Amino acid sequence: MMCPVTRNLRDIGLLARALLLLAGRFLLAGPFLLAAPASPARAQTAVARDDIIAPLERFETAPDLDVAALRQQVLERSKSRSKNEPPPQKRPPIAPELTKLPTFNVDIQFDVDTPIVQPASYQTVGRIADAMVYSSLLPYGFLIVGHTESTGRRENNAILSQRRADAIRDILVNTFKITSKRLQSVGLGEEQLLDPARPNAPANNQVQIMTVMKMPEQSELPAAASKPPAKKPAKKR
Amino acid sequence: MVRGGSFLLFVALTAPQLAAAETTSFADSAALLARSCAAEITANCRGVNFNSDRLKECLSRNQDVLSPQCKTNYFQVFDAIQKRIAARATVANACSREIVKLCAGSTKETSKSVPCLMTAKGVSRNCTQAMVDAGYR
Repeated sequence: MMCPVTRNLRDIGLLARALLLLAGRFLLAGPFLLAAPASPARAQTAVARDDIIAPLERFETAPDLDVAALRQQVLERSKSRSKNEPPPQKRPPIAPELTKLPTFNVDIQFDVDTPIVQPASYQTVGRIADAMVYSSLLPYGFLIVGHTESTGRRENNAILSQRRADAIRDILVNTFKITSKRLQSVGLGEEQLLDPARPNAPANNQVQIMTVMKMPEQSELPAAASKPPAKKPAKKR
Repeated sequence: MVRGGSFLLFVALTAPQLAAAETTSFADSAALLARSCAAEITANCRGVNFNSDRLKECLSRNQDVLSPQCKTNYFQVFDAIQKRIAARATVANACSREIVKLCAGSTKETSKSVPCLMTAKGVSRNCTQAMVDAGYR
């Protein structure tokens, strides 16, 4: 219900947006305002839920996507030692098809060289979970794409970005109980720089959320007809 | 803006709590955890990710060194997250008539009927509240 309003206001300007944010906080913050009043001086900079929803709900056709193959491709390319290897800013994107998908880019702070999300970014991850639970995104599945800037060993970056993408998926699944059927993850390392002109810019460490599939409609009936009979004998043993 | 914020905060504090079942968004819960326990997590739970079971376990193990604010809030935060998740299961019950009659869906797969419930006419107040609590709307 709030979505169309939000979208109409988008262009009016920052003031309208700030007001909306405040109103949103007023409506959503609920009981926690009593527990820990947020001091206005430390206003949160985390993204708004509707800003995540708006691009991701514009899904049209499912891409032909083989995540396992893509992971392998990233690992292999990140290991190439060929003398003709172009510098980071000149490498062709490893998965150009991803750039056409509905995407939200988000800053998440991780501990250095680890997939551990810093507390400063908990709210942002919570916001992603809120967006994924919201009705208009409920029918969709997502790909979580990790990236790194091009510092350090290229191969390590491929691995680190994969671990970070996995970590975000795990938090969404374990902490916020988004069903794992809706979430896939891949790390592109420095093989598809988000800011190719500046390979070391922090923007290259962003995580991307992409809408990649519509969940099957009412899968329940065929599943109930075929799967459980196969499982039952196993359970009884 | 700061003034406006304080005013809204004031209104929020004085407004009577509407429904007892109201839940908190994941982002607000997560923000409260970070606000209350960031220092403790960084100091004592290095290498523990934002996984409710592991983080809760780590914070309880370090009870003695937690700030009073963290100690008071962390349990409440995980509880609030749990309530928000549990609220999804109540939608099947609160909206059973709507799911079957208005959306031709099944209460076993509530989430599939949620987009329909959002636009269907004649959805009960109870059902609407359940969807708000679950974060569907």
